[in-house]
Amino acid sequence: MSPRTAPVTRRDMMRAALTTAVVVGTSAAVAPIVLADPAPAPAPAAPRGTFDEVYRGRRIQGGPVPVRYASARGAAAPASGPGVEISIDGRPLHVMRRADGSYLSLVNHYRSFPTPLEAARAAVDEIGTAQLSTASFHHH
Amino acid sequence: MYTRKNQKDLDPDERARFVGAVLEVKRRGVYDEFVRLHGRYFVSDGEGGQRVGHMSPSFFPWHRQYLLEFERALQQVDPAVTLPYWDWTVDQAPSSSPWTDDFLGGDGRPGDHRVMTGPFAFDGGNWPVDVGVTEEKYLMRSFGRPADPVALPTPAELEWAIGDPVYDSAPWDSTSTTAGFRNKVEGWTVGEQEGWHNHNRVHLWVGGQMTGGTSPNDPVFWLHHTFIDLIWARWQRRHRGSGYEPARPLPASDPQHGRVVSLDEPLSPWQVRPSELLDHTRFYLYAE
Repeated sequence: MSPRTAPVTRRDMMRAALTTAVVVGTSAAVAPIVLADPAPAPAPAAPRGTFDEVYRGRRIQGGPVPVRYASARGAAAPASGPGVEISIDGRPLHVMRRADGSYLSLVNHYRSFPTPLEAARAAVDEIGTAQLSTASFHHH
Repeated sequence: MYTRKNQKDLDPDERARFVGAVLEVKRRGVYDEFVRLHGRYFVSDGEGGQRVGHMSPSFFPWHRQYLLEFERALQQVDPAVTLPYWDWTVDQAPSSSPWTDDFLGGDGRPGDHRVMTGPFAFDGGNWPVDVGVTEEKYLMRSFGRPADPVALPTPAELEWAIGDPVYDSAPWDSTSTTAGFRNKVEGWTVGEQEGWHNHNRVHLWVGGQMTGGTSPNDPVFWLHHTFIDLIWARWQRRHRGSGYEPARPLPASDPQHGRVVSLDEPLSPWQVRPSELLDHTRFYLYAE
């Protein structure tokens, strides 16, 4: 099959979407700074780690939540710090902390990411256009 | 007593019987229970609670018991079936065994990564993914993660892990990077520039369900973890003077007190102790 006649794969489409999304993501990250700069008393900034952007056509949102209680049956103990909540197109993506402070998600269970935003973007990279399942099998 | 073989040494009849037993365990609804169990016991070390399956010293014994339970389920269907192992340091070709049409099927197709060949392809009707991270019901793979390439571990990388005479070390979690066979095999790293090692890297290389919280949905999970189990046995053979650590429960002053399982403490959910699982020859042998 010659490249000229090769069908457009989902990955090709995602690559195209990514180019767009990077622009969207950058402006979303820069915008608050630009807006806040001239204002003498800016409104309280969103809590650190909060994001809401469109990445590869998917809306990813995230932010900290109060201390959660962790899984394993009969061994629940308070988490060491605030947890984080992430969603893709409004559906929750389960996220866990590692001891080094990084984040892993239900989509990427065998690697972790420095920030919730990176975990969310990596999950979109992995699932493409699929919807997260709403069924929960993790006891979290 | 039975023998677990290298997957590339199975004859056509053995492959067919393994596949048949896996499909029957799936049809009975038992397979999905194994998928759920694995997810339920994946507790990360930045969270509270006891860790038995991952990011902890009992990574090896917990998975040994998990494999034994699954193997027993297969043997209830066909007593001759045993779990084969996939040596991913050697058998790395994406189109040869175990990825053949009469065994696990091949790579996913470009785009949606759907597996189209072999007995576990969705269109065959025998392998719906009902316990999934996403709503897709089909098995997915994406060998080598073409969008962000990752390679299978090399013999040298595995040797780096097996050569470590220390089983595990404080803080007994995914950041135990200074010494310890366990995490060098399990494969957690700290720092953005590091890749992921051995066990984790293989999950990433296969792609699809293998990268997520329902990784046992892909039958290659069992072949991968059977090799992990053999790696433990090889390490024991190499380092006769070393053993499972921690040997005694951690003191209350230790931050990991109550969060990891020492040699004679019970492992959930089976309440079996690591000390009862150290010698695999009580249960099976490996053909190497």
